[in-house]
This record gives sequence, C-alpha cells and structure tokens, in this order.
Amino acid sequence: MSKNIRSALIYSALTAGMLFWLFPLLMALMNSFKTNGELLVNVMSWPVEFHTDNYLRTWETMSFLRSLGNNILLCAVSVSLIVFCSALAGWKLSRTKTRLSKFILGLFVFSMLIPFSAVMIPLYRVVLVLGIKNSLFGLGLVYAGMGVSMAVFLYHGFVKGIPFEMEEAAAIDGCGTIQAFLRVVLPLLKPITATIVITNVLWIWNDFLLPLVVISKRQHYTLLLSTNTLFGQYSSDWTAILSALIMAAVPVTVFYAVFQKRILKGIADGAMKG
Amino acid sequence: MKSKRRQNQILLLCVLPALSVYLVFKLFPAVSGIYYAMTDWNGINREFGFVGFSNFIEVFSDRNFWRSVAFTFRYVAVVTLVANAAALLLAVAIESRRRMKGLFRTIYYMPNMISMVIGGYMWMFIFTRVVYYLADDWGMKFLDVSWIGNPSYAFVAIVVVSMWGSVGYLMIIYMAALQGISPQLREAAQLDGAGSFAVFRRIVFPLIRHAITICVFWTLNSAFQVFDVIYVLTGGGPGRATQSVALNIYEEAFTGNVRFGYATTKSTVLFVIVLLVTLVQLRLMRRKEHEM
Amino acid sequence: MRKTLSALVALAMLLGMVSLAAAEAADEVELNVMMSFPRYMEQWEAYAQQFQEKMLLEQNVKVTVNIEMPSSDQYDSLLQARLAGDDAPDLYTLHCNNLGLYNKAGHLTDLSAQPLADKLYPDIKTAVSIDGKVLAVPLESMAWGVLYNKDIFEACELAVPRTLTELRRACEVLTENEYTPFMLAFQEQWVPQLMTALTLGGLVSGEKGDWLDRMYTDEASYEEVREIFDVITLIMQNGTARAMEEGSQQGAADFAVGKAAMFVQGTWAASTIMEANPDMRLGVLALPVNDDIGCTRVNLSTSTVLAVYPETPEMEMALAFANYVLDDADSSALFESCGFNPLATCHDYPAAFWVEDASAYVAEGYAYRDLVLPSAVTDEQGKLLQELYVGTVTVDEIIETLDATFQNANKLN
Repeated sequence: MSKNIRSALIYSALTAGMLFWLFPLLMALMNSFKTNGELLVNVMSWPVEFHTDNYLRTWETMSFLRSLGNNILLCAVSVSLIVFCSALAGWKLSRTKTRLSKFILGLFVFSMLIPFSAVMIPLYRVVLVLGIKNSLFGLGLVYAGMGVSMAVFLYHGFVKGIPFEMEEAAAIDGCGTIQAFLRVVLPLLKPITATIVITNVLWIWNDFLLPLVVISKRQHYTLLLSTNTLFGQYSSDWTAILSALIMAAVPVTVFYAVFQKRILKGIADGAMKG
Repeated sequence: MKSKRRQNQILLLCVLPALSVYLVFKLFPAVSGIYYAMTDWNGINREFGFVGFSNFIEVFSDRNFWRSVAFTFRYVAVVTLVANAAALLLAVAIESRRRMKGLFRTIYYMPNMISMVIGGYMWMFIFTRVVYYLADDWGMKFLDVSWIGNPSYAFVAIVVVSMWGSVGYLMIIYMAALQGISPQLREAAQLDGAGSFAVFRRIVFPLIRHAITICVFWTLNSAFQVFDVIYVLTGGGPGRATQSVALNIYEEAFTGNVRFGYATTKSTVLFVIVLLVTLVQLRLMRRKEHEM
Repeated sequence: MRKTLSALVALAMLLGMVSLAAAEAADEVELNVMMSFPRYMEQWEAYAQQFQEKMLLEQNVKVTVNIEMPSSDQYDSLLQARLAGDDAPDLYTLHCNNLGLYNKAGHLTDLSAQPLADKLYPDIKTAVSIDGKVLAVPLESMAWGVLYNKDIFEACELAVPRTLTELRRACEVLTENEYTPFMLAFQEQWVPQLMTALTLGGLVSGEKGDWLDRMYTDEASYEEVREIFDVITLIMQNGTARAMEEGSQQGAADFAVGKAAMFVQGTWAASTIMEANPDMRLGVLALPVNDDIGCTRVNLSTSTVLAVYPETPEMEMALAFANYVLDDADSSALFESCGFNPLATCHDYPAAFWVEDASAYVAEGYAYRDLVLPSAVTDEQGKLLQELYVGTVTVDEIIETLDATFQNANKLN
C-alpha cells in the first residue's frame, strides 16, 4: 500500500516538474496566437480565436525557408568536414604509436578549454584575411576548425576498442591508406560518428555569436540571426516575438521528435566516452 | 613493421586536413590573442601600441572584473551543485518508473535542443509578464518580487533558466550510467534488507562515480563561460550585479572605451582560471574514483 | 605514392571549398550599408530599392544595396568589430556625439562638397560638422525632454512645471488624483541614463557653464552637480512599480495607455506610443533640475547620422546613396514615414504635432546642445542609476565612481 502511495507521489512530482519544464514553451505557443491587445489584457487565457497573422508576418520578415535552408547547408558543410577530417585523424592517431602522435593528440586536447571570447576577435581577423566572410562554406570551415578537437578525441578513443585485423587484411589486399580508411574503417566507426554528428549539429544549429559576426548579408542569415533582427523590429509586440521564437524552435523540435532515440543515445555515448 | 619515420609520414598526411583547419581557426587565433592582450588596441583606432604586461597588471586591480569573477564563482558553485543534484534525482526517479519513462525523458531533455537565445527570450516573457499576471490576478503573491531588478531574485531567475537548459543533458548521462548497473545487484542488496537510500549510497553511487566526474566537469566548464542566459535575461544588471566574466569581457571589448586589447587580457585570465579549476577538479575526482 | 595522392586530394577538397567561397563575390556594384534602427527596416529597404531603380535608369548601373540592421543593443559591438577588422561597410550610421572619435580614427569622409551639404538647416549642419567639414548625413534630429500625457494634466488642471518645486507639487497633485506621475522603464540602462543627460545638460547650459570642460581636464567632480540627484530621486519615488522588468518599448506602450502621466524619454518613442494609442495627446516638457528656470531646458540633439567610409571601393556610388538620402523628390516621404523631423530644405512635410511643444522651448531659448560625454561615462551612469533604483548603491558612491570613470576615460583617449 505505502509502496503504491510512494509511487503515485513520484509520478505526480515528475508530472508537475514536466509541466513546469514545458511552461515557457506552452505560454509562448498560446500567446503567439493572440492579438497584441488580447495579450496585454490576459496572458493566461486561451486565445479567443487562433490568429495566424503573427505567423504569416514573421514567416515573411524572417524569410523562414531561406534561413532554414542556410542553417541546413551550414550544418551539412561543417559536420561533414568535421566527420571526415577527424575520423581520418583520430583513426591514424590511435593506430600510430610514436611520440609525434602523442604530441598531436595533446595539441588537440589542450584547446578544448579555451573560452570562445578569447578567440573571437582574432578569429574574425583570420576570417577576413581568408576572404570567407559572408560565406556559409567559409563559416563551415571555421566550425570545422573549432569542432575537430573534440571529434578527434572521441574517434581516437573509439578506434582503440576495435580490432586491428580487418585493416591488416585490407592492407594485404593492396588497399592504400585512404582506401582502407574509406572501405574498412569508416563503416566500423558508425556508432561514434552518429554521436559526433548529433552533438555537432546541435551546437552549430544553435550557435549565435559567431554567425552574428561573420555573416552580414541577409540572404545568408541563419534562423537565429533572422529571429534576432525581428526582435529589433517588433520589440514592443510580444505576440510577434513569441511567434518568431516558436518558428525558430520548430525545426529542432521536429528533428528531435524524429530522431529522439538516436539523439538521446548519441548524447549519452558522447559524454561517457569523453 | 614499418619504420617510425614512414609511420609518422602517413600519420601527418592523415592528420593534415584536421590539423590545418584546427591550426588556422582555433590555435592561431588563441595564440595571437595573447599578443593582442599585450597591446592597447581599441576597436576604433587603426594603430595600436605594444604595452607589454601592463594590461595584466591592470587586471589585478580591476574591481569590476573581480566582482564579475566572484559572481561567476557563486554561479558556478550553485549551478554545479543544484543542476547535478536535480539531474541525478530525476534520473533515479525516472529510471525506476515502469510507465511513462520515455515521455518523461523526452520532455525533460527537450529544452536542450533549443538555443538558449530562444529559450531565454521565452523565460523573459515569463519573468516580465506572466509572473505578474499570476501574482495580480491569480493571487500568487509569492511571485510578486522583482525578478530582474532585485539582484538576489535575478540570480535565482538566471539559475532557473540555465537549469532548464542543462539539467536534461546531465540527466541523460546519469540515466545511461544507471542502466549499466545490473538489477540483480540491486535486488541482492534489497534482499539483504538495505533501504533504498542505503542501496543508492552503497551500490549505485560508487558505480556512477565516473558519470558524476563527467557531468561536474561539463557543468563547471560551461558555467564558467556563461553568457547567453544572462545577456538575454538581465544584461548583467541591475548595474553589474549579475555580470559574469564573459559579460564583463564583452562589455570591455565592445562598449565604453572599447578596449579590445585589454578585453583579450581578461579572456586570457579567464582561461587560466578555468584551466586551474578543471585540473583541480579532475585530480580530486579521479583520486576518489580510484579509491573505490 | 597513391596514399600521398589521396591525402593530397583531401587537402585539395578543403582548399577548393575556400576558393569556392571566395569566388562568390559578384561583379556588379554592391553597397553595404549598416544601420542601427531595425524598427524602420521596411522603410529603408523600400528606399534602397528606389535607389537601385534610379541608378539603373539614370546611370545604367546595376547596384545592389545590402542593408544590415542588427538589433540596437548589438549595433555598436558589430560596427566596432567590422571597423577593427578592416571590414567596414560602405556606409554606416553612428551617434552624432561619436563623430569626433571616429573622425580622429579616420573613419569619416568629408561630405562638404556634396549637394546634400547645402540643403541642411544651418544649426543641423553645425551639429554634423567638425572644423567646418560636414562629416555625416543627419537622419534623426530632435528637441526632447520629458514626454507627458496632456489629457491627464488637463484632468488634474496642472500647468507644465518649470521649476523643481512646481514639479514636486505636480507629483503630489497627480498622486492625489490617483495617477502615477512617472513611467519607469529601467530594464535597458540607456533609459535611466536619459535622466542624467537631461539634468546635466540643463545645469551645464545654465549655472555650471564650465563644469564639463573641467571634467575633461580632471579638474572637476560630480560633487559639484550633486543637485541632479534631487530630481532623479523625485522621479524614482513617484514612478510606476517593477521598473527593472519594464523594457523601453513596453514602457512606451504602457505610458500610451495612461499608466503614468510623464515619461523621461525622447520623442523617438513617439511612433511606438502613437501605435499603441492613436488618440494619445502627447506633449513634451523640459525637466526642471532646481528652482532656476534657466536650467530647465530641452535637449536639442542630432542623434543618428549616416557616414561614408573613406576607403570604400565604391566611393562614387556610396556618395550617390548619401545624397539620395536627402533627395529633393523622395527624401520627404522617407523621413516622414520614419517619424523623423525635417532637417533640410528638401523636406516639405509638416513636423509631427508633439514637436510643437519642444519647438516652443527652443524658440524661447530654453534649449541646450546635447553634451558629449565619454561613452564609458554614459554607460556607467545608466548602470549606476539602475543600482540606485534598486538600492545597492548610494549617491556618494555614484559620485565617486563616476569621477573615477571619467578620469580613466580621459587617460585612455
């Protein structure tokens, strides 16, 4: 009996916590369908009528589809670069046991604690010198540079746990290093690759400060940058802002809903190996 | 076995793509940052001079900087403790449920998917509009405090929002660790008559030590650099009451006297502080792990 | 050998991406313009469009104008990052008070010889000139002080206060009639800072004429102008609650619906106010500092101006755009739709009705030219007033900190 009561208590506590967790999202969602007048009167009421005007307006001003496309392109470029470069490096670093390999690994690991504020301004200068400002491909390269250290470290750790025989067999078959890597090693790395893809997509998708500095043309704006512009435009109109917030949050939420299991597993694996 | 030299050559070729982007976009900016830290460069003038270590000396007597360091330490301590405790509690509670496990896990993790800039604005709406509506019209008087203006409540608001954005992540890690413990072990202990708290302390806790190390490391590192949440919610205010080091650096570099050089000096000092704290933490927790 | 080759291919791929990215630049004329008022984004986008059409028609040049409008709290940071990186936009807006600083750093083009220079009203031309050179195109120019709600004042039969005693009395009358005298919206630090701007401006143009000059040579102290805190305290004590939770735009909207009788805020908030309540009868009054009527003045300022970056590769087109901003045919419509005041001979639209009050002060000579303080001091004032409001700092501490900040800024600049 007491066990049942305890269990019921835990369930209700967890449910209450869950509602609190969802509260800001729900409030944003509910109020984004109101007119501004309605919102000023009562923020807790259900909308009298579902006004979609806010969404139509923000859809336009944010250039939603273009921004979304930019985000996807940026993520695709950066993450494929990160995966390719770090898998190759992490694998070879793990298989080579020389002083040089130790040194290089140390070099990668060392930088993981450098705060972004310390590199931002000099990094911006590098971007300008290379002429890759206002380019999503260029920004992808920057993310690759900042993301490889963690990924190399993860791949390095993972490769240690897979047997060496298959690579040897491939070498006997006359495969070159790169061929062996592409045909034999890369498929074996799939689990950790999934983790790396997920963590990096989340990071790059939600990053704000770097694109703010590097992208100045609106046709290259990411979702967050477009949302940010909108705050300035409608700063006294919460309904417009909330609808923009919701729209900016929708793509990741959908992504989460679809790949939920993989994401959660990937996150956990990534952390436990790191 | 191929010669060391040949091995190193192949290694270099394979590492080259990763190493080149890393050197260009991370290491070089970081190292050249140290050079800027020794100049009087401001954001507007084109010329700047080398001033040696005088910026570093100035940091030591910079009251606002150390005030922000003190705030950051307070924030780091509270967030590390509270977020990890809450995440562990959640993980244990959810992991031992039979039903709705997936739902709870999904929802509690959800805020992590959303950018803190977005989430921060949603909370801003809560703290400036919704809370007062609840206080005035629904009679929830305990909410009628100054959530942005009173430094103590603003601190609470900041902690709540950053917990909202990070507890899910920690919870997932703890859950993964808990799943690694065999149910037989737990049952055996329960048969021995150990209460659930005792089971947790003697059996579960030692086995998730590693997860705790990871989570604490992660919270420490990210809490030291906290920027987004505070920037959106209070902007560091009232005055500088909730200014973190990252915000202080941003203020120095981009407002007022726009001292880029000096701001970089402060970043360097921040890096050293984070490095030291992390080293101490890792050493302490590793030792504990090995003692087990 | 093949291994080496494959690795080289990988590297080439990487470099290919770099060059691909670099090759994106188009071969037509492109103008990059950075502006600090996202609220008028639509108006300026449309204006840029008109400019492009005009250039195509008249000069057969295909121009693309890229307008970047970050939110106003990020604007300065971004502009500085761009300037520091030698990556300045071709045209950019800045605050008129910063002209000296930017001129010294060589970021401004002399526009004296341009057609636009001759169109400017004389006092506005002076405001955007240094050493007789016109250095920027003025956009926003206004006389401002405290906004007030004429309906509430009439309901309480109140006259516009001209001295501190009258203001104190007005607050009592308003309170008796159950009106809150002042709207407080202190969330953004530049809003409380307006109180120091107005009071210091009034004092310096009235009694304490040389105070600011002596501040710049480390010979004066905020101690001498301590009386500014009399009226600041009065405002804070007679204001709306939850000031720190109130943003400036929200404050304007709340003021518009009658939540308070007065609001220390510039006329730039008028568009938000009129949007929230189109029937609002908005007035402007000068903030009294003490009982000397000579110190009760409105601020006459040119705030946002547009500058041309001297090293722009498209100088000709950039100048054409600057001139087009004060175009004889099109400029009036733009300025009117943004709610800006007329400031050049090409403007033939009537000024908004709330401008009349402020203009009356100006006509009587009760106006002062915006004071130029180091921006570090301006920021510090805003922060300290927030702290004064929440009670974590005393007036004595404020004076001490501001003196130190001013001296430090003197040392650095």
